[in-house]
Amino acid sequence: MILSEEYLQNLLDKTLPQIRSTDGCAVVLEGSIAEGFGNSSSDIDFLLIADNDAELPTMPSLLFVDGRRVEVRTRSVRQIAEQFAAVTTAAADRPGALAEDLLNRCQRLLRSFPLREPELVAKVKELMSSDDFRTTVREWWAHAARQSIRYALALRQLGQEQEAAAWTEAGLLQAVKSWAADRGETYLEPKWLPEQLRRIGDHPSAARYLTLASPSASGLGADAYVTEGVRLAADLGVTGAAPGAGRITVAGAGVTTWQTGERVHVVRGRQDVFVLGDRAALAWRSLVFGRTLEQTLAAADAAGAPQAGPLIARFLRFGLVRVAWRGDGPIVPGLPLAAPSGDVTPPPSTARPIVGVGGATAGGAEAIDLVPVPARRFSAAAMTLVWSNVLVENAREDLVGALGRGQWSVARLSALRMLRFALRGVLSSYAVNPLPPDSEVVRRLSLLPAGADLDDIRAQAEHLETLTIASGPQGEAALAALDGFVALVRGATGADRFPSSFDSSDGWRQTLEAGYDWLRLGAHLNADLPIDEAGDLLSSGGAQPHAASA
Amino acid sequence: MTQRLKVLVTGASGLVGAEVTARLAAAGHEVTAVVHHRRTLVRNDGTPLDPATVRCLPADVTRPRLGLSEAGYAELADGGIDRIVHCAAITDFGRPEEDYRTVNVDGTAHAVELARAAGAGLVHVGTAYVCGERDGLIRETELDQGQRLANGYEASKLRAETLVHKARADGVRAAVVRPSIVVGDEHTGVVRDYKNIYVVLKLTTEGRVRSIPGLYEARLDLVPVDYVADVITRVTERFDEAEGRTFHAAGAPLTLRDFSDVMAEYPSFHVPRFVPPTSFDTERLPARERRYYERIVSLYESYFRRRMTFDASHTAALGVRGAPGDGPGFLRKLIDHCLESGYLGAPPAEAAHHSDGAGR
Repeated sequence: MILSEEYLQNLLDKTLPQIRSTDGCAVVLEGSIAEGFGNSSSDIDFLLIADNDAELPTMPSLLFVDGRRVEVRTRSVRQIAEQFAAVTTAAADRPGALAEDLLNRCQRLLRSFPLREPELVAKVKELMSSDDFRTTVREWWAHAARQSIRYALALRQLGQEQEAAAWTEAGLLQAVKSWAADRGETYLEPKWLPEQLRRIGDHPSAARYLTLASPSASGLGADAYVTEGVRLAADLGVTGAAPGAGRITVAGAGVTTWQTGERVHVVRGRQDVFVLGDRAALAWRSLVFGRTLEQTLAAADAAGAPQAGPLIARFLRFGLVRVAWRGDGPIVPGLPLAAPSGDVTPPPSTARPIVGVGGATAGGAEAIDLVPVPARRFSAAAMTLVWSNVLVENAREDLVGALGRGQWSVARLSALRMLRFALRGVLSSYAVNPLPPDSEVVRRLSLLPAGADLDDIRAQAEHLETLTIASGPQGEAALAALDGFVALVRGATGADRFPSSFDSSDGWRQTLEAGYDWLRLGAHLNADLPIDEAGDLLSSGGAQPHAASA
Repeated sequence: MTQRLKVLVTGASGLVGAEVTARLAAAGHEVTAVVHHRRTLVRNDGTPLDPATVRCLPADVTRPRLGLSEAGYAELADGGIDRIVHCAAITDFGRPEEDYRTVNVDGTAHAVELARAAGAGLVHVGTAYVCGERDGLIRETELDQGQRLANGYEASKLRAETLVHKARADGVRAAVVRPSIVVGDEHTGVVRDYKNIYVVLKLTTEGRVRSIPGLYEARLDLVPVDYVADVITRVTERFDEAEGRTFHAAGAPLTLRDFSDVMAEYPSFHVPRFVPPTSFDTERLPARERRYYERIVSLYESYFRRRMTFDASHTAALGVRGAPGDGPGFLRKLIDHCLESGYLGAPPAEAAHHSDGAGR
């Protein structure tokens, strides 16, 4: 140990008065210093063991004694026995699933240095066979290494050589930790690995590891590094990660796919919407769970998305799909004691407007863009957008009818409705939902960012809201102005291809289909739908609501 | 086993019949399997039934005396049959009325006659969908409520079950088991024949049919074939308790919304638009889709707007294992098996070259 027992006893004497109820407790030093590692900045970790079955707090006390950081933990003998029992039970079933904190706590105790009541300490350590524990740690690291190496192989197959090399590096570290554990070096944290290897002494496997410890140190290219790394991992005792055709398959990640028009959306966790560019959509649509990566890439190629590996790798990274090892379930890579595991979430898309009638705005053919609003609001806004466009057509028909009969007041109201419905669409395309009341929509355009089209829309809207219609010529001018305005709005909100719903049965069919497409996603998410209006449309048999000959 | 029974199973080579036959034989009963076109018995998972455990009897339920000679029939009727399990039926949709009449109605009449002649207990396998287009809770005690029937299949099964009821009043001992839509195994999803609902699943997930007239809240009741066979076997073995009663063999109902949500979990699948029936117009469909719709999907249209629930109190009281509970989970198993077997999931490029036998 880098610190003498006398120094430690002295430190303990100064520490204990600051801790409650320590009478009769055994005390051990655990952690890196007890292992024989450590340096001047290492923490001092004391564990107090109470010879009873009390439920002692798990949180450590942090103290500063003699200028050193001292952590004091407490456990009763019962709690320690339970920890060991939990490890033994899990080890018999799935050692890889053991929580790292539990394993770490047990390891530190088993390799601790007794400072008070050594008999009690010895009694407690006897609750766990050190051979069994060594095997458990070996298998725990081997499981992590297996997952990392398998993941590296999957990434390599998807054309991600650099990332494959990085996961090989992680897998090799885990493999050598497993190998070292089998030789009694069970200390869990990887940071003292060089010291652990030094203690094991000269060994060809350790030497090989040191030459392959990182891609840069190895002097190998990424692909060669993976090949060599995978071989060494196997030699270090990691089974079940040998490369070979057909080993890796794609598996579901619980996301759902919703296509509106030609646009494909993937909803993760009922919360995040990813919109796919055209090429990304072809690759996504070619995924069939249970198929090998080779088959998957060939299917993507056949579907018009050649070299889809990098796209599929991004699906994988974002947790939209998983890879599995044939016969052994999903590959779940992780870096125990190093990094939180989980799916990557990219920054939200900055493409604007956020959504059009035919789907969310995607930033290019390869896009897998995260829509910047939650799924339910996205769905509700899209539905409202479709409906606002239908209602614009509806109001326009009313306007034309009123002008034909010289009903100027009715015409004025219809014109206002046409304006406001168009603005509902503008706000919805920026995912403003719920909408402000119609009487406020012109003012609430202030919510939207500045920009040429939007500035123009704001200016024209303020003008159109004050239109008067008291004669035929005024009415015709208002209609022309509103038609121009609607065209501007649709151009700015991606609805310029929106079918003029009531002009033709084909246009009406497309309108209905857009509505039904969005309805599927809305139903899935229990989104707020413009349901009264939707209900009218959906139950009308597709009839044009205001046409006399419907 | 409490008692070794002599059981005659009609339709023994069918999906349900083969599973019932296998169960009865495994339980040590003396089983005579009536077979027609298919002379070998293959279980749902594809394994052949050991010929040593079952006696196969080539016969034809559509003909009087099952098409047997007078002597052959007399031997059967006098041979001390304890039970007749009448599984033989046409379950396909869209067949000529004549087929339904001869197999489903006349076939049942012939089974009833044999039960009468042999003094055997009759277990008639009907369908839960004799309820026709009724909504709400459908009780096992209800039969003809003046309901509207969707197709020739349902009409024939109602007539057949009515025959059984009349015969019962006339002294024939009978019980009825009514399965809902019979699909693959509860735990593996495995199914021997991809028919009926499977064809609709294929057409929609491959995007050949994009719009379906249906209500999101409509329910389809899918029941695993193994569970149906368990119910029939139990009714056969405990006939003294079951006699005179009807048993729903129903699964976990799935709404069309459940279907939509589960189908959306598979990236390559197209999820159909469910269009309210009042808004659906075949004229709006693209020509190719319209052909699929008219030849296949239209046969099932009625099922996409029904909102019934099958009460299964009698079945529960008979002590059959619990009906499958997790509808979406079960649907995933069915789909996963279809993907494994290659029935579903052909990529678009491949799909264009494959015929699904579903009409082109």
